[in-house]
This record gives sequence, C-alpha cells and structure tokens, in this order.
Amino acid sequence: MIETVGNHEFQYSDARHQSHTAISGMWLFLASETLFFGALFLAWIYARHWRLEGFDLGARHTDMTLGTVNSVILITSSVIYAAGVLYAEAGNMRRLVQCCYAAMAFGVVFLLLKFGLEWHTDFSHHLFPGADFPIKGAARGGAQLFFVFYFMSTALHGLHMLIGLGLVLWIVVRAKRGEFTREYTTPVTVVGLYWAFVDMVWIVLYPLIYLIGRGA
Amino acid sequence: MARRLLVTYGLLLLLLGIEVAGSFLPLGRGARPLILLPAVIMVGIVGLQFMDVRSGPTIVRLFAAGAIIWLVILLGLGSLDPLTRIQYPVPAQTAPESY
Repeated sequence: MIETVGNHEFQYSDARHQSHTAISGMWLFLASETLFFGALFLAWIYARHWRLEGFDLGARHTDMTLGTVNSVILITSSVIYAAGVLYAEAGNMRRLVQCCYAAMAFGVVFLLLKFGLEWHTDFSHHLFPGADFPIKGAARGGAQLFFVFYFMSTALHGLHMLIGLGLVLWIVVRAKRGEFTREYTTPVTVVGLYWAFVDMVWIVLYPLIYLIGRGA
Repeated sequence: MARRLLVTYGLLLLLLGIEVAGSFLPLGRGARPLILLPAVIMVGIVGLQFMDVRSGPTIVRLFAAGAIIWLVILLGLGSLDPLTRIQYPVPAQTAPESY
C-alpha cells in the first residue's frame, strides 16, 4: 500500500517533484537503451566494413516497400500518441483513450507486416543464416552477417514494440478508471517518451537495413 | 498545438521521402552512410517535439546529452579500429618439402 500525502506520495515534496522524478527515471532508462541499441549499430559498422560486398548484397534482398510503409505507420503512431498526451494535458481523457487505441492499432499493423508478412517471406526464401542460405560464393559470409543483423535488430525492436503496446494499453485502462486529471498526466507522458523512443530506434534501423546497401 | 503536430508529421514524412530518394543516388559504397543524415535529423525532431526535451526538468537534458555523448564514444572508439586499420595481403606460403 502506497502512502499518499495530499496529491502525491509521501517521499516527494509535492506533485511536481513526483512527476519530475518519474520523467527523469524514464529518461535515464532510455539513455541506457540508447547504448543497448548503440552496440547493435556498432556491429553494423563493423560487419559492413569488413564484408562490404556481401553485406550490401544481403540488404538488396530485403523488402524496401514494406520497410517504408512500416516507417510511415510508426511515425503516424507516434504523432497520434503525442496528440493523446496533449489532449490529456487539456483534460480531455476521452480523446486520450481514442488516440491510444489508434496508436495501438498502427503498432499492431506494424508488427503484423513485419513479422506476419516480411519475416514469413524471408524465412520462405531461406534468408535466415544457415545451410540453406540462397546466396552463394564469396559474398555469402557477408550476406549472412547482414541477415544476422537484420533478424536480431528487428526482433529486439519488435520486443520493444510489444512492451510499448502493453504500456499504452495500461494507459487506456487507467484513463478509463478515471485516474488521470488535467493536473495529473505523468504516466501518460512517461509512456509517450518510451513510445517515441521506439519510433526513434526504427528511424535509425530503417536506412541501415533497407537503404544504405541498396544500389551500392 | 494540433498545427505544430501536423507540421512535425509533415516534416518527418518529407525527410523520410528525401531519405528514400537519396538511396537511389549513385553514391559510392563509402559515401552511402550519408543517407543516414535525414534519419539523424528525424531523431532530433522526435526528441524535441514528441519527447519535449526542452521543457522537462534540467536533469532530463543532462540524461539526453549523456546518452548522445556515450553513444558517440561507443561508435567513435568502436569504429576507429576497423576504419583506420590497413590490411596487408598475406603472401601465399608453400609447405616445406620435408612435409
């Protein structure tokens, strides 16, 4: 049971202090996440540098159209959630819930396109590194390295998306219970930070996977 | 507020379009990572507009700056070796006759 004093928990001096602590905590977590994904980006630099030809050949086997559509979907989802935060701050919780549902719908479409369609096609073309990998010759090693990066990075990003969907759903439940007011929207803001960060990661992954190796 | 969001949305889509168009430019393999430039700007826009770095508590700006600095150190120091190392070809060796 959490003890509350007025409109904040006992360990904070006031509600603003509590809100700033939550927002700062999420930012600290996101800073650590930046380095988590940074290691993945470093792996991309390393693998592409040493196996340039094969790595770029692997990139040309990805579906650029699906990747671009997914980028638009995720950006749209972020904009909608950002609108939801503004509605919450204005005290319009009904609109906040609608924005959350829309942001979640776009998130689900993203995951379906990525894992239901794109990964499915990649697996049916035997692009998962292994004995059946279709690219032969000198470029084979580099192309396999590219697909290790592709599957690893999209899986990690997808996992973050799933967590984000759960968090947005949690906001919907709390909003429907009437737990947010014009003065108290901290969880809505904190989840918005996470959702925007997941979008940021995709914005960087998209050119690394689909664009840079193409046409090289 | 809604206008600000719509302008941001339009800007992000425009940068995405520039990025896609840029991928069709006949750039050399070494220059192709320049295609990342619009993505870096997009990340900055998302940070400033959707994550409100500017209006949060001071420590938020410190954490954001820390993330960028450590990422630059990670990628900078990490890629220093592969990007600067010269690989000399090893001459083919023949086994001594006694083998």
